[in-house]
Parts: sequence; C-alpha cells; structure tokens
Amino acid sequence: MAGLELKSLHKSYGEVEVIKGVDLSVTHGEFVVFVGPSGCGKSTLLRMIAGLEDISGGELWIADKLCNAVEPRDRGIAMVFQNYALYPHMTVYDNVGFGLKLAGTPKDVRDRKIRDAAKILQMEHLLDRKPSQLSGGQRQRVAIGRAIVRQPEVFLFDEPLSNLDAALRVETRMEIAKLHHDLGATMIYVTHDQVEAMTLADKIVVLNAGVVQQVGAPIELYQRPANLFVAGFIGSPRMNFIEVTVKAVGADMITVAGTDLAAITIPADGTGIKPGDTVTLGIRPHDLESRAGTISGQVVLVERLGNETNISLALPSGESWLVVLDGDHDLKPGQRLDLTFDPARAIIFGSDGVARHPRT
Amino acid sequence: MIFLRRYWLSAVAVLASVVVFLVPFAFIVLMAFKDQKQASLLDFSWPAGNHLWSNIVEVVTTRNWMLLTAFINSTILTVASVTLLVIFAAMVGFVLQRRKTRFNGLIEFLILAGLMIPPAVVPTIWLLQGIGLFAKLHGMVLIEVAYALPFSILLYRAFIATIPRELDEAAIIDGARPFDVFFRVILPLLWPVTVTNIVVQSVAIFNDFTNPLYYLPGNANATVQLTLYNFQSQFQTSYNLLFTNIALITIPPLLVFLFFNRQIVAGMTAGAVKG
Repeated sequence: MAGLELKSLHKSYGEVEVIKGVDLSVTHGEFVVFVGPSGCGKSTLLRMIAGLEDISGGELWIADKLCNAVEPRDRGIAMVFQNYALYPHMTVYDNVGFGLKLAGTPKDVRDRKIRDAAKILQMEHLLDRKPSQLSGGQRQRVAIGRAIVRQPEVFLFDEPLSNLDAALRVETRMEIAKLHHDLGATMIYVTHDQVEAMTLADKIVVLNAGVVQQVGAPIELYQRPANLFVAGFIGSPRMNFIEVTVKAVGADMITVAGTDLAAITIPADGTGIKPGDTVTLGIRPHDLESRAGTISGQVVLVERLGNETNISLALPSGESWLVVLDGDHDLKPGQRLDLTFDPARAIIFGSDGVARHPRT
Repeated sequence: MIFLRRYWLSAVAVLASVVVFLVPFAFIVLMAFKDQKQASLLDFSWPAGNHLWSNIVEVVTTRNWMLLTAFINSTILTVASVTLLVIFAAMVGFVLQRRKTRFNGLIEFLILAGLMIPPAVVPTIWLLQGIGLFAKLHGMVLIEVAYALPFSILLYRAFIATIPRELDEAAIIDGARPFDVFFRVILPLLWPVTVTNIVVQSVAIFNDFTNPLYYLPGNANATVQLTLYNFQSQFQTSYNLLFTNIALITIPPLLVFLFFNRQIVAGMTAGAVKG
C-alpha cells in the first residue's frame, strides 16, 4: 500500500544545507506530523515529498516507487496549502474538479466525484460560488475537497489551520481527524502548533535545523523526550531547566544538587556520568507542587485563572521558572514559595543534551 | 461673485480641458461638414451647407476604395499584433517573475534597452528584405510586436508578482503541465492588465503612421493612417476630405476605448493594493 520511505534525504540551496539527512519510514494509513520552530525545514521537507522542491540527495520512496525524479502529478499525492491557494477565477465546483479535468476524466465521472467530495465535506451548497464569496473555514474546506477528489495515496498538509481563527481551528482540526479516520489514507501534516501535533498525530517528527530530533507517538515525546530540544519544544508551558551538579551515581539512580536545589535522587541512566559532572535537570511546570521541599524561590508574577494558577518564579541563582499549580492560590509578588516534585517526573539531561531516562 | 471666488480654479480647469480636448474634436467634425471651398479657409466657422455625406462617399471611394483595403489591413495588423503581444508579454513576465536565474538581470536590461534604443529603420528594412518579409503584412505584425513588447512585459510582470506562487504550485500538484498552469490559471487572472494592454496597444498600433510608412509600402498594403496622404499633397489639399477621413478612422479606437473603459482603470491601479 501507500507507505512512504525517506532515506537520508538532503536539500541544499547553494552552500546552505537546510535538510541534513532525514530518515523516516511511514506506514500506510499513518498520520504523521512534522513539527518544529520556524525555519527548521519542515515545510521544505513536505515540499520535497510533494515534488515542489528538488531533492539534493538521498531517496524518496512513495508506495514502493522511487520518486526522486517523478513529476508531482504522478506521485499520487495531494496537498493543502496554508493560504488555501484556490483558483480565484473558478467556482468551487471547477476548483475541486480542476485536477480531474486536467487528467481527462469523463464529464459524468468527474461530476460524480466532485459531488461525492462535496458531500463528505458538507459543502454541496457552496459549489456555485467563487472563492471570494467564501469564509476562511469554507475556503479551507474547498482546498481539502480539491485534495480528496483526486483520491491520492498520500495527503500533504502545509500548516492548513494557521490562517483560521481559534474556534474554527479547533473545529477544522477535528474534521481533519475524522477525515483521516474515514479515508484511512496516509497523511503528512506540517505545523508549528504543538497542540495540533499532539491531538492529530499517530507519530510526531520533531525537526530542528534540518535534523530529526525525535520520532515517536505524541505521549512518548511528552513523557520521554530524547533531548533538551524536544523536552523544551513539546509541552506547554515549556519545561523548566536548571543546571545541577552530580553528587552520587547509583544503579539507575543519580543524586544531584545545586545552588537552587536541595540534594535529590532521581531515577536515571547513570552510564558515563560521575560525581562532580554538571548535568541539566528538567521538570514540567505542572509537576511542581506547593510544599516545603526541594526548591524555593520568589514570586515575580501571578496569573490566576481560577482552575489553575500560573506563577513566574525567580530562583536564588537568578534563573526564571514557570510553575503551574492546581486550583486558586492567592500569592503576592515578592512572596517566597516552597516547592517540591516527584523525582520520577524529573528528567536528567547529560552535558551533550541527551536525556538519561532510566533503562527500565 | 462668491460663487466665482470659490470655484474660479475649477472653472479655469474646465475651460482648459474644453479648449484642449473638445475644440480639436469640434474642429474635425465641423470641417467634415464643409465643402472644399469653405474648408480651405481653415477657420472655426459654422458649415455653410451639409456636405458630410458627399465627403464620406468621396473619401471611401477614392483611389479604388483604398480606405476599405486600409481598414481591413489595419484591423488584421492590430488584432494579430495585440493577440501575440498579450500572449508573449504575459509569458515573458510570468517566467521572469517566477524563475530566478542569473540571466534575469541581463534579460531585464534587454527589455529596458528595447524601450530606450530608437528603432533603426534602414537596417530593419535590409533585414526584412533578407528574410522576405519586407512589405508583407505579417512582417509588419512582427515589427509592431517587437516594438511594443517591452512595455507590455513591464505591465505584466508587476502584476504577476501579486499572484501568489501557491496557485502555480496547487495547479502543478493538480497535474497541470507548464502550459496548463499559464493558460488556465495565470492568464485568466491577468485579465485587468490584459485589458489595459489591449486598449493601450491596439490604439497605438491602429494609429501608427510612421512604421507602416517605412515598412509597408504599396497601395495594396495601405493602413488607415496612410490614407490621410490621399487628400494632402504639396500642391493641393482637400481639407474637407482630409478631416472626414480623420473622423472616420477615429471611430474604431473610440469604440475600443468605450468598450474597455471601465476595466482599464482597474488594470491601471491593479497591483497597487493587494485585492
């Protein structure tokens, strides 16, 4: 079926290398999300799969066919663009049917396919309109209709929701998830929004500076990030980091302490780490509890949301942390706050930035 | 008095417009009604009698219905040239705007050179004779296209920059070959500029006098502007017929203008603000 195989894919513009060897394997029907900060090459990678960018090196296999030099129309893909890219001079009907018309599909078959696609997306009443007469959400729907009418092996989405307002974004996100479920097609989705990534993906690919940082299921990325970058990128608000010194190394245990932190023993892989080394400790803002214990600091800013309280905290070393406490807490700036956390929720990162998860 | 004080500048402007734009027109029409005797006075007087119809008959039938031949020639020349211009200029503008290569600078220089360097008549005639296109209508079409191409390209290129590149890409993904992308997606979107091009260039080519004079000699090849010489010579000029002729050949450009008038303004300002 229509799997996808990327073998050490490279892309460079002259001297500048933007994609530095990406290896990825996607099985049929999987929903894969490329996520990363701006300029990390995620859109470029998608456009290489689409055939809009040349591949400088490596191999691209779509459905067991080497596609490096295959024209986009013969790759069995369809793409949805961020700004919809509807043809302004054509009606919705013609927009959706344009690809079929170019392929020389007979008129009656074409008409049936267009109406089927319109039915799936509930936009039959829009078929006679021009794109300028549609709202943003409707335009995106037409763009998706244009993709599904071609019955592609692989769907490509390039930040399809970023031009929509917040409410519509949630709605369309669910529709895309439903569409994936109904069609069972392979989908590749590019976004910088990690909520979209977490909710939609079977598999997330985190990219940074043209290099794959980690590939895995959303919850795996959240709980066991491979390195500092993934830990900081996945999860909102961002994970807190602090530099600490190793005091003792045991079997799957590391004891650390620092200027801001009382000695604490954390389950981690201690291979190659010896007492005296500097490592980074990461803890998510939600995992901190307001109890006297390991860490304390001064409240700088309080955001009371009712169900939770966001606190910006200044540690003695000057480091700034974010704490999210359940429920409402009436705290004043300048107040001292004592915190503790479950050692099992903390992650130790070696000096190379790689996470030291316990081996079990 | 207050009225005059407040609006004197507007009044002057209106008056100036009338003098500059309407008086010459009125002069042409009045002259077309006069007989030869009154017309040769060349004054701004009311016609003594209505000689319009006899003038028209005379103008049209002169030199074996030359004006009709001229109208046919001019129409073919204008339609063919403008069609080629629109297609080629839009194509050049499209490729130049979309595909960045190191030759772009050179190509842009050549386009500007086409605007700046005056056409050299004698070498062009020599070249046309060499390839057997001299005094042929299709040779003339090529010359008009060559002369007008740079300006049309400049008009198109600026507008193509406002068409998002994703449209091309969406079409490519939809399976469009390069010519499909151009003719089915890009060219229809260029309609406002195309209208501007059609009006500006067809009026210019239809009214072109010097180029057909140089490159298209022969009675069978006459274009409308050249028929003016039928009634104007060193020793005798029939001003009534000359101005009747002028009135007649002004009609087609006027029609083109009236027909496209509303859209031309849109084309002129299009691209200034993203719609």
